[in-house]
Amino acid sequence: MTKRRKRAVVPGLAALAVVAVVLSAYTGATQQPDTVIKDRGSWGYSAASSPQGRSPVQPIAFPHPTHVQTLGMNCLYCHFSANKSPDPGMPAVGTCMGCHLVIGPNRPAMNGRPARKSEGIATLQKYWAQKKPVPWVRIHHVPDYVNFAHMPHINAGVTCQTCHGQVQQMNRVYQYASLNMGWCINCHVGNVNPKWKARYDCSVCHY
Amino acid sequence: MATVTRPDEEVLRLGPNIPEANIQLPGVEKYEQVTREIQRTLYPTKLWFAGLSVAIICMLIGLGAWMWQVYMGLGVAGYSPPVMWGVYIVTFVFWVGIGHAGTLISAILYLFRAGFRTTIYRAAEAMTVFAIMTAGLFPILHLGRPWKFFWLIPYPNWRLIWPQFKSPLVWDVFAILTYLTVSSTFLYIGLLPDFAALRDAEPRPLRKHIYGVLSLGWRNSELEWRHFARAYLFLAAFSTPLVLSVHSTVSFDFAMADTPGWHATLFAPYFVAGAIFSGIGMVFTIIIPIRRWFHLKHYVTLNHLDAAAKLCLFTSLVVGTAYLTEFFIGWIGGNSMEQSYWWNRVFGQWWWAAWVMLTCNCVLPLTLFVQRLRRNTTWLFTLSIFINLGMWFERFVIFDPSLSHEFEPWQWTRYAPTYVDWAILLGSFGWFTMWFMLFIKNFPVVAISEVKEIVPPPLRTPHPVEGIEVTGMRLAFEPETPGERD
Amino acid sequence: MSENSTPSGVRRREFLKVLGAGGVATAAIGCSSDRVEKLIPYLNHPDETVPMVSNYYASTCRECSAGCGVLLETRDGRTFKLEGNPDHPLNRGALCARGQAAVQGLYNPDRYRSPMVRNRSGQLVAATWDQALKLMEQKLGEVQKGGRAGSTLFLNRHESGSFPAFLDEWLAANGMPAHLSVDPLADNAVIAANRQSYGVSWPWLAFSAARLIVSIGADFLDTWGANVPQQLEFADARARLADAPRFVYVGPRRSLTGCNADQWIACRPGSELAIANALLGKGSVNDAATASDVPVATLQALKTELTGARPALVLSGVAGSDAMELALAVNELNRQLGAVGTTVQPDRAITSFDGIATDADVIAAVEAMRAGQVPLLMIRGVNPVFTTPKAAAVVDALKKVPFKVSFSSYPDETSELCDLILPDHHAIESWGDAQPMANVIAVQQPGMAPVYDTRQTADVLITLAKANAGIAAKFAAPNYMRWLIDRYPGGTSAFTLALEKGVGTGAVAASTAPRRATAIPKTAAPIAQTAGDLFLVVYPSCSLGDGSGANKPWLQEFPDPVTKICWQSWVEINQQTAVKLGVDTGDILRVETAQGAVEAPAYVFMGIQKDTVAMAFGLGHTAYGRYAAGVGVNPGDVLPVGFDAKSGSFAWTATRAKVTKTGAYTPIVTTEGSARQHGRGIAQALTVRELADLAAGRVTEHAEAMPGMPNTEYLPGLRSPMAADAQGVVSSNIKHKEQGMYSPDHWSGMAKRRWAMTVDLARCTGCQACVTACYAENNIPTVAAPYQESHTAFLHGVAGGNILKGREMNWIRLERYWEGGEDGGDFEARFVPMLCQHCGNAPCEPVCPVYATYHSPDGLNVQVYNRCVGTRYCSNNCPYKVRYFNWFGYGEPARPQYAWPERLSWQLNPDVTVRGKGVMEKCSFCVQRIREAEHRAKAEGRELRPDEFTTSCAQACPSRAITFGDAADNDWTVAKLALDKRGYHVFQEQLNTFPAVVYLKKVNHPAPAAPAGV
Repeated sequence: MTKRRKRAVVPGLAALAVVAVVLSAYTGATQQPDTVIKDRGSWGYSAASSPQGRSPVQPIAFPHPTHVQTLGMNCLYCHFSANKSPDPGMPAVGTCMGCHLVIGPNRPAMNGRPARKSEGIATLQKYWAQKKPVPWVRIHHVPDYVNFAHMPHINAGVTCQTCHGQVQQMNRVYQYASLNMGWCINCHVGNVNPKWKARYDCSVCHY
Repeated sequence: MATVTRPDEEVLRLGPNIPEANIQLPGVEKYEQVTREIQRTLYPTKLWFAGLSVAIICMLIGLGAWMWQVYMGLGVAGYSPPVMWGVYIVTFVFWVGIGHAGTLISAILYLFRAGFRTTIYRAAEAMTVFAIMTAGLFPILHLGRPWKFFWLIPYPNWRLIWPQFKSPLVWDVFAILTYLTVSSTFLYIGLLPDFAALRDAEPRPLRKHIYGVLSLGWRNSELEWRHFARAYLFLAAFSTPLVLSVHSTVSFDFAMADTPGWHATLFAPYFVAGAIFSGIGMVFTIIIPIRRWFHLKHYVTLNHLDAAAKLCLFTSLVVGTAYLTEFFIGWIGGNSMEQSYWWNRVFGQWWWAAWVMLTCNCVLPLTLFVQRLRRNTTWLFTLSIFINLGMWFERFVIFDPSLSHEFEPWQWTRYAPTYVDWAILLGSFGWFTMWFMLFIKNFPVVAISEVKEIVPPPLRTPHPVEGIEVTGMRLAFEPETPGERD
Repeated sequence: MSENSTPSGVRRREFLKVLGAGGVATAAIGCSSDRVEKLIPYLNHPDETVPMVSNYYASTCRECSAGCGVLLETRDGRTFKLEGNPDHPLNRGALCARGQAAVQGLYNPDRYRSPMVRNRSGQLVAATWDQALKLMEQKLGEVQKGGRAGSTLFLNRHESGSFPAFLDEWLAANGMPAHLSVDPLADNAVIAANRQSYGVSWPWLAFSAARLIVSIGADFLDTWGANVPQQLEFADARARLADAPRFVYVGPRRSLTGCNADQWIACRPGSELAIANALLGKGSVNDAATASDVPVATLQALKTELTGARPALVLSGVAGSDAMELALAVNELNRQLGAVGTTVQPDRAITSFDGIATDADVIAAVEAMRAGQVPLLMIRGVNPVFTTPKAAAVVDALKKVPFKVSFSSYPDETSELCDLILPDHHAIESWGDAQPMANVIAVQQPGMAPVYDTRQTADVLITLAKANAGIAAKFAAPNYMRWLIDRYPGGTSAFTLALEKGVGTGAVAASTAPRRATAIPKTAAPIAQTAGDLFLVVYPSCSLGDGSGANKPWLQEFPDPVTKICWQSWVEINQQTAVKLGVDTGDILRVETAQGAVEAPAYVFMGIQKDTVAMAFGLGHTAYGRYAAGVGVNPGDVLPVGFDAKSGSFAWTATRAKVTKTGAYTPIVTTEGSARQHGRGIAQALTVRELADLAAGRVTEHAEAMPGMPNTEYLPGLRSPMAADAQGVVSSNIKHKEQGMYSPDHWSGMAKRRWAMTVDLARCTGCQACVTACYAENNIPTVAAPYQESHTAFLHGVAGGNILKGREMNWIRLERYWEGGEDGGDFEARFVPMLCQHCGNAPCEPVCPVYATYHSPDGLNVQVYNRCVGTRYCSNNCPYKVRYFNWFGYGEPARPQYAWPERLSWQLNPDVTVRGKGVMEKCSFCVQRIREAEHRAKAEGRELRPDEFTTSCAQACPSRAITFGDAADNDWTVAKLALDKRGYHVFQEQLNTFPAVVYLKKVNHPAPAAPAGV
C-alpha cells in the first residue's frame, strides 16, 4: 500500500506541474515591466501581470478627498490635459504652489476644527524651495507597446472613476482596475456601457 | 525431422521466400534463450559509455549554441531575408520524417501481418518516439521569442484571444503532440510483457524493482494477454492514419504558402513517402550496428533486412517519381516564376545540394534491386547514411532555394548557414542519440514477447512430428499430451 | 529510472541541470528589469505645451546651403522629427533625406559634450566654458597686441542670412579680415557664370515650362544647387505626362538625375564643352563627336531636337577645368532657345548661394597657413582636412598655425587638429535666419534646449566682444537672438509673426564690413595630359554630400539611389572595360594617380562611359565618430589640386587614373537582389503613344475583367468584392454576413474607411527621401554600423555585414530596375517604392499562428509586435517581401547591436513602439498618425477632413509622388488618383492579393526618331 501511495505521488506531481504551468500562463505570473522611455522596450515579458490594488507610498501623502470632496476641485484642474492629450498630465509644482503659497502647513484652530500641521504641504514647500519637482511614483501603468490615449475616452464620456476608481475618496491612491487587456476589451465590446462600444481590434492600441 | 529446425545452409544461401520464411529464427531455440540473450544486452559496456558521452557532448554543444542564439537574437544564425526559414525547419521536417518509418513498421506492418517486422519494430518504435522528441524542439528554438512558444497552444487567457486556427503552424502543434503521445503509448504498451519478463529474469535488485513498477503487475495470465492483444491491435490501428496525417500536416506548412516551389498539391503524399523512405534509412543505420554489437544477428536476420530493404527501394522509387513530377509540373505549368525558381534550384547557389539529393535518394537506392546488396549489411549501412544525408538535403533544397528566389526579384538573395545552425543540428543528433543509447541499455531493443511467439514453445516431451513448421504453424500434438487440447 | 546506481543515471541528472540552466537563462533574458517608474512633473508648466502633444516650430534646415524651411516636431521638450515647411518658398513642405537626418546630427552620440582644450601632453580634454573663453580671449588679445589680427583666418560653413554679416562685423571690430564662406558642394563655376549672364547666382529653374530638358552633367536631383525645389519643379514637369518635356542627360556617368532622363548620351569627361559648343553652333558636331566618343548622329539629332524645342532648358554642372566656359556657353544656349524668363527665371532667383567663397580662395588660405602667415585660425562647421584633396596638404598647413580654434560640434578630422574647441549648437538648437530668395527672410529658431553643454557660436562671439572693452559697445545685444530681432525689418512684432510661418518678407541687413579679395587660382593641368588609362570622375554622394552626412547612420544605411550600395565605397566601371580588365563586381580595384592611390571594390555598371571610372565622395573619414570613421575610402586622396581658372572652382573631374585589379575581393554591400524585373511587371511604364491609347480606351493590357480592376463598381482592388480581408468570401449578395468588410453595407458597420496609397511613378525620381522619413517616423533601427557587426563574427567584420545578409529594415525601399541596355547601348532606369501593400487579401495574415498580423476594419494590414513570437511565416508568404525581422536586439540597450546609443534614443518617436529582438515589423501606413488624427477629430466632434493628414513618406516626398488617404471616401485625393487609367497593382494578376497601394505607370518619352515602346 505505502509503495502504491508512493507511486501515486509521481503522476500527482506531474499533474500539479501541468496545472501550475497553465495557471501561470493564464494569469501570466511574470514580473511587471516598468519602463519609462520608449526605447527601453523589451519584448521579454508577457505583460500579463496586473499589480491591481498596488498602492505605493508617495513622496507626499496627497489627500485627494480634501481637494476633490472638501474643496470640490475638478480633476481637470490638476490633470489638465486628460481631455486634450493622450497624457492626463501631472500638475506642475507651480500649480500646487498656486494655492499653497497661501495655504501653509500650519492651520490654526478655526470654526470648531482643531489646529493641524500638514506634513504634506511642508514637504511640498520644501520641494518648491529647492526648485525640485515632486518625484511621484507611477501607479497606473500600461506597457509601452500599449498606446493608451486618455483624450478619446474622456471625450466619449468615460468618467475618470470608471478606470481609476473613486479617487476622490482615496487618501492614498491605489490601482483600481487590473488594466489588463481583457479588462480593456470587456469595455470596448460594450459590456460596461453600450454607449461606449468601440473598436477592439489590435491596432486600436498596439502599434 | 528434427524437433527444432536448425539454420538451413540452403535457406541462408538463397534466402527464403518472403513472407513465409522470413519470420523464422533458425538460431533461436528456447524461450529461456530469448529472455537470456536479450536481457544480456542490458549490461552497459565501455563502448556504450563512450558513445553516450559523445552524444551528450554534442547535445551540450547544441544547447550552448541555442542559448547564445536566444541571448543575441536569431541573427547569429545564417538567415538572410527573405530566407526566413533555414536549417532549423529543414531539420525539423527531417526528424519528423525519421519518425514515420517506426510507426509504419510497428503499426501498419503489424496490421498487415508482415512477420519480418517482429524483431526490428521495437528499435524502430523507440526511434520514432525520440525522433519526434527531437523534431518537437525545432519549431520552438527557431522562434524569434522562444519563451513565448506557449502562445501557439490554445488555452483560455485574459487576453481573450486564441491562436489563428487557419495557420498550418498551429496544425503542426496538434500533429506533433498527437503523434508523440500515441507513439510513446504504443511503445510502452508493447513493452509491458517484456518488462514482466525482465522483472523475472533481472538479477540486479534495483532494476528488478523498476521493471516491476513498469510492468504494472503483469502476471502473464490469459486475460492479460487477451486485453494486451486487443489494446495493441487498437493502438496499431490508431497510429496507422497518423503515419499519413502527421507528415501531410507538416507538408501543409509549405504547400499552403504561395512561395514558388512550395505551393504544390503534390506535397502531402510526396512528404509522406519521403518520410517513410528516410525513416527506413535511419532504421538501417540503427539496427545494423545493434544486431552486430548486441550479438543479435540470429534475431534480426538477413531475411528481415532484405525485406526492409525492399520496402526502402519501393519508397525510394515513389520519392523519385515525386521529384520528376515536380520538375515536370514546373515545366508544363508555364509559370515563369515557378520556372525561374526551378532553374535556381538545379543551377543556382545550391545546385550541388539538389544533385546530392537526387543521387542519394534516387540513384544509389537502385542498387537494392540486387539481392546480394540487399543482404550485404555493410552496403545497407553505408547506403542508409547516404539516404539520411540525401533526405536532409531534400528538405533543404525544397525550402531554401525557394525562399531565396521568390516573386520579388529585388529581394533575391543567397543563403549560408552559420556555425550556430550547424551546432544546433549537431546538438539534435546528440539529443536523439543520447535518448536512444539510454533506451537500448535499459529496455529490450528486440521485443521479447513477440519473438517468443515465433520460436518453439517449451514442450514436456519430445515428439517425432511435433514442433514448429517452417510457416510457423503448430503441428498437431499427441492426444495424451495434456494441456494441448483446446 | 535509477539516479545513483547506474552511471547513465548520473549523466542524465547532470543533463537535466544543464537544461534547467538553459531555461533560467532564457527567462532571465526574457524579462525586463523591474524598476520603479517615477512621474516627474514640471516645476512650472510651459504654457504653449501639452504633454504628449506635438508642437511644430518653424525653422530653417542647415544641412546644405539651400536652406529649406522645416517644421521641428517637438514633444515634451524633444525635437524628434523634421518636416518641410509648406509655407517656405523653396521646398514647399518637402524635405530631402539629408534634411530628415538632421536630428541624428542633433542627438549624435559622438558630438562634443563640452568645450575642449589641448593640454600639455597634446590631448584634447574637456573644459568648462569659462576656461575655454578665457583662453580664447587671451589668444585674441595676443594676436591683436602682436598686430597680426589682419592676417587671421575665419573659415565658416556657408549659410545665407544675417550670420555672415554679423560675423564679418565681429571680425572687423577685432581688426580681422572678413571670413571665408565655404561650401564644398557649391558649383562655383555655374554661380559665377550666372552672375555674369543674369546678375544672380542661381536663377529659378522652371522645368515645368520647358519642352526639352538637356542636362550636361548637372545633377539637379542629387547635390547640384537647391535640389528640393528643383525636384519639385521637375516632378511637376513630368506630371504633365503626354506633353511633359523630354529629358536628355549628357555626361560620363548616369547619376540619379541621369537615371530620370529619357535618354542618356555617354560622353568622355572633358568633352562637355565641345558638345555644348556644337549645340550652340560654335563648334562642329564632328569634332564634338570625336572628342566625346558619341556617335555624330546622336549629337546631330539632339541639336535638331533642341533647335525645335522652345523654350528648352539646358543645364551644365561639370566640375572640370573649363567649367565656367561651359556654363557660359550653356547660358548662351538658353538665351538663344528662349529659356531666359521662361524656364530660367533670374527674377525668382535663389539667393542661398550668394557669397560663397571659391575653392581657390580656400586653397589660397591654406597656402597662407603653410607660409606661416596665419597666427590664429577659426573654423566653424567646415572640415577642410577631409573636403579638400590630400594633395592640398591641409594637415601640414594647419601644423604651421600656432593656434587653431574650432567651433565644430563634432570631432571631425579638422577639429581634432585644433587647440581649442568651442562646440557650436546644432542648427535645431540655434537662432538664426536665412535669405532663400530676394525679399524672403526665413527664420531659424531652436526646437528645444541644448542637448549637450554647447553654445551657439554667435553668442560666444558676443560674449567675447563684451569681454573686450574696445568693441563691447558695438555688440550691445545680450545675445544673438536679440541682435537678430534688432536688425529684423519690422522689429519684434514682425519677427514674432515670421516665427509662426517660418518666413517673413524683407532682406537681411547686409554686412558693413569690407569683403575680402578673391584669390587668382592656378589652372588645372588639361585632363588629356594627366597620366592614366581611364578618366576618373569623383562626384559628391547624394546622401552624404561633402561627407558631413557620414556620421548619421540613416544616411550611411541609405543606399545610393543608383548603385544601391551603402556603408561602403565603390568604383563604378563600365562592363566592357571590366571585361577588358578581367574585373567583376566586388574585385578590389586600385585607382592610382600622380597624387596617390585608393582601393575600393568594383561595381560593374552600365551607366558609366567606357573610358571612365567614378567614385562617390563623402566616405573614408578617419575621424568624425563611430559611424563615419574607417568606413569606405576618400577619393579626394587621389585628386590633383586644380581649378577652372575663370571661376576658381575646383576641378573634380580633371584627371585620369591608372586602374588595376589587386586580386583581393570584398562583397558589395548592396540592397539589390536582381536588377532586372524578369518580366514581372513590378515597375511598369508607358510610352507617350501607349498613354494616348490608354486614354482613348484602347486598353491592351488587363484585357480580361478582374474584380478590382477599373471596370468594376469598386476602386481598383480597394473595395472590390474580393478585397475583403483573408476571411471574407466572394458573394454577389452585398448583405452577405461574410461579405468583405470594406463593403459599405458590411454587417459590422465598421467599414468606414479603407486606407490606401497611390504612387505615381511618373513623378517618382527615386531620391529616397521617403526612406529616411520612414526611418525617422517609425523608429526603424539601422543595422549595419561597424559596432553592430562586432558581435556577429560570421558576418564580414566590415560595416554593412547585416546588409550583406539582406537584413536592412527599410519599411519602404526604392527598387531600381534596369530596362534594356544588355547590348551596351542606352537603357532605362525604373524606380518603384516598395512598401507593405496592405493587401485586401493578404497572404501573410492566415499563416500567423498567433494572430500577430491581421486585417483591421479600416483596411490596414496590422502587425502586432507584442503578440509576435517570430515564426517569420508571414514573411515567407509575403510576395512583396516587405516584412522585416529583428534579428538582433536593435531596440534593446543591453545588446551590442543597439541602434540608438545615447542620445540618439532621444529622437525616437514616442507614438511608435520600439521593437525588441525576435519580432517581425513592417510598414504600418503610419497608423500612429491615423489614430492621432482620429482622436483629434473625435475631440473636435467631427469626421476626418479629406487629406487632413498623410503618412511620413508622402509628407516628405519632394516629388509629390506618394498620396495617402481613404479610398472609400471620394473626397480624398487618393480615391480620385486610384481611378487613374495608369493604375495597376503589383502581382495582382498572379496572386489576387488586392493591394491597397496603386501604382501609376511611368510615362517614357522616346526620342522622336526612336520607335515607340520601351
